[in-house]
Amino acid sequence: MILYDYVLSASCYKVRLMAALLGTPLTLRAVNFHPGREHKSPEMLALNPKGTLPILQDGDTVLTDSADILRHLTADHPEWQSSDDDRWLDFASDLNDSLGLARLHDVIGYAADIDTARAAGVTALRKLEAHLTEQRFEGLIFLTGKTPTIADIACFPNTALAPDGGVSLDPYPSIRLWMRAIRSLPGFIEMPGIHRLHELAHPA
Amino acid sequence: MDWVAVALTEDVPPGVVIPSRIEDTDLAIWCTPSGRYHAWSDRCPHRGMRLSHGFVRGETLACIYHGWQYNETGSCDYIPAHPKLTPPDTICVPTYTCAEEGGVIWVSLTDTDRPLPALGGRTPVRSLPVNMSAADLAAHFGATTFTTIAVVSDVDVLLAVQPCTGGTCMVHALAAAEADRSSVSHWLENLRATLEGVPA
Amino acid sequence: MNAAIDNHWYPVAMITGIDAPRETLLLGKKITLGREDGTCWVLDASGAELPTVERFGHLWTSPGQPNRDLFTIPEADNPGRRLVDVGSVKVKCSPLRAVENFLDIAHFPFVHTDILGAEPHTEVDRYDVKIREEVDEVWATKVKFYQPQAAKSAAGGITTEYMYRVPAPTCSVLYKTCPPRPGEWDIITLFVQPLTDEWCEVWPWMALYDDDSTMSEMVSFQQLIFMQDRSILENQIPRKLPLDPGMEVPTQADMTSVAYRRWLKKIGYTYGAQLVAA
Ligand SMILES: N[C@@H](CCC(=O)N[C@@H](CS)C(=O)NCC(=O)O)C(=O)O
Ligand code: FES
Repeated sequence: MILYDYVLSASCYKVRLMAALLGTPLTLRAVNFHPGREHKSPEMLALNPKGTLPILQDGDTVLTDSADILRHLTADHPEWQSSDDDRWLDFASDLNDSLGLARLHDVIGYAADIDTARAAGVTALRKLEAHLTEQRFEGLIFLTGKTPTIADIACFPNTALAPDGGVSLDPYPSIRLWMRAIRSLPGFIEMPGIHRLHELAHPA
Repeated sequence: MDWVAVALTEDVPPGVVIPSRIEDTDLAIWCTPSGRYHAWSDRCPHRGMRLSHGFVRGETLACIYHGWQYNETGSCDYIPAHPKLTPPDTICVPTYTCAEEGGVIWVSLTDTDRPLPALGGRTPVRSLPVNMSAADLAAHFGATTFTTIAVVSDVDVLLAVQPCTGGTCMVHALAAAEADRSSVSHWLENLRATLEGVPA
Repeated sequence: MNAAIDNHWYPVAMITGIDAPRETLLLGKKITLGREDGTCWVLDASGAELPTVERFGHLWTSPGQPNRDLFTIPEADNPGRRLVDVGSVKVKCSPLRAVENFLDIAHFPFVHTDILGAEPHTEVDRYDVKIREEVDEVWATKVKFYQPQAAKSAAGGITTEYMYRVPAPTCSVLYKTCPPRPGEWDIITLFVQPLTDEWCEVWPWMALYDDDSTMSEMVSFQQLIFMQDRSILENQIPRKLPLDPGMEVPTQADMTSVAYRRWLKKIGYTYGAQLVAA
C-alpha cells in the first residue's frame, strides 16, 4: 500500500499511526505540500481531483479521505471497529475544520478566520472532554469502550496538536489521560508536536 | 494565601505531570510513582522550558528539552549532557506547599498553617474550565471566598474554585459519595452555560 | 530607529514563493513585497522603497542602512549540491530563542529522538567557541554528537561533526558531516524573520550532497525536525531571550549559546531580548 504523505499533516498521521498500530507496512511517498503545493500538481490531481492529502493507493483502489482509509486498513481487524465509530469519524472531521485549520493558519499561514476556528475548536474539545469524562465514570478510557478503535485514532491527531493552533489543552484532564492511553499503545509512533512517552525509555 | 484546589487526584495518577496555574503563577503538578504529589514552578531553571511538558522517571521529574532531572526536593540531580557531573545545589526549581485531601490536590503559594478546607465527606466528580473569574463565580453564589463554595439546590455540590488568568477559572466539583456522577456532570455543564451566557 | 537593530539584513520571503504582492511584518512594522519583471521589491509602511538582496533562494531586506553586505556561504556554490527551499514556519517566540535553539545539540536525544540523538548517547564533549573579531561572527567548531539518523541520506547511526556559525543576529549556518561524502560538509541554515520581538517566521534553507532522496523527502525531513523544535520554542518562559546572566543556568554544553548571548549584548542587539531579570 502506498500513502501519499505529508509529514506535518494531522490527517496523514492518522493513517501512519493506524498502520503502525496494526503492524501494516506502508510505502510512504513524501509530497511537498508546503511550500511546494505539490498536492495541486497535475500528477496528484490525476490521483485525487480534490487536491487533498492523504491518498492511499492499494492496488486499483484509491482512497482520498482519512476516515475511508482507516476503515479500509482495519477491514480485517474487527477489534479496531465499533458501531459508534461513524459519529466520531464525523466529529474528527469537525476537529479538522476547527483545530486543524487554526493550526495551518498559525504554522504555515493558511487563510482563516482564526478567532472563529479557535472558538469552534474549544467547543469541540469541551464536547470531547464531557464524553471522555462519562466514559471514565464507567471505567472506560477510550471513546467507544475499553479498547481503542478507529474513532480514537481519527480524533487523536487534531486534538493533540491543538496547541500548534493556539488552543490550550491544559484545562481538559480526561482528554489528557485519553491521549496518554493512546501514546501508551504498543506500536505507537509520534509526529512533530506529539511526544512519545519518554518515561518508558531507560537512561544510561 | 489560602489553599487552592489545583486538580483532582484521579486526574494526576502516579508518574504523571500536568500544567496548572494560580492566577499568574504557572505550576507543574506531578505525582511520583510511589504516589506523592508536588507543586512546582512550571519553568526549568536551565532554559525556561515548561516542566509540565516533561516526564516522570523514577522519583524524579525530567524536563523535555534537555532531560535535566529534578528530585523530590526540586534539586537538579542529573544533567544528561554531562553524565559524570554532580550538579551544584544551586540548580533547583521553586516549590510550593502541596497537600492531598479528599481526592483533591491543594496548593498554597505561601507557607500556611491553615487547615485544609472541609469537604463534608463529599467525593470528587470532575474539573471543568469556566470563562468567568473566580471572584465573579463566588459572587454569583453569594459566597465571600472561592476556596470552596457549597451549593445546595437540586443537587448537593461543593465547588472548589481555582483562579486562572484572563477572567477564567477551573471548577473542581465534589458531591455526596452516593450521587450519580453523570447527572452531577450534566448539572455542571448547564451551570457553566448559564454562567457564561452561552448554550452548552 | 535603532541602528544596532535596523542596519541588518533580514529574510522576508522565499523567492520562488513570491507571486502577488503581499504584506508581512518586519521588526513589528508592516512591509509589502512583490516581484516585477523578475526583480523583487520591498516597500515600508510609508511606501518608501527598502534595499533588497536576493541570495540563498530568499529575498532579504533592511529597514536601515546596512553597513555591510549580506553574508555569503561560499561552500554552498560547490557543484553537486542540491539547494533546498524548505518553506517557512511561524513560531510564537523571540527570533533570538529560535536561533539559540538551532545552536544547541544537547536537546537532540529528547526532542529529535531516534533521529538526531537518542539516549543513552547524551553526553556533549567540550568543543571550541569563539567570536571571530575580524568578521564579527560567532563560531563553534569540533562539535561532535552521536546521531541515529543524521540526515535523510544517512543509513544508521554515526558520530556527526558540526560547525556552527552566527553571521547575523537572526541567522545561523551549520556545517555538518555529510553521510554520502566523507570530507565534505552539508550546509543547513536557519534564517529568521523577526515579525515582532515575540513572534517570528523561520526560513530554513539547505545545500546538501544527496543524490538519492527526492526534493520532497529532503523538505519533509527538515520540516519534521523544525516542527519538533517549535513545540519547545512556544513553551519557554519568558518568550524573549534573557541576555543577562542569572535568569537561566548554562553548562559547558551551552558554550555556543553563552557566546551568542554575549555577542548580542556586545553589538547592542536587543530586539527580542530580555535585559533585566523579570
Ligand atoms: N477530509 C480529509 C481532510 C484532509 C485534509 O484536511 N488534508 C489537508 C492536508 S492536512 C489538505 O490536503 N488540504 C489541501 C486543501 O485543502 O487544498 C481527510 O481527513 O482525509
Ligand atoms: S530547559 Fe529544561 S533541561 Fe534544558
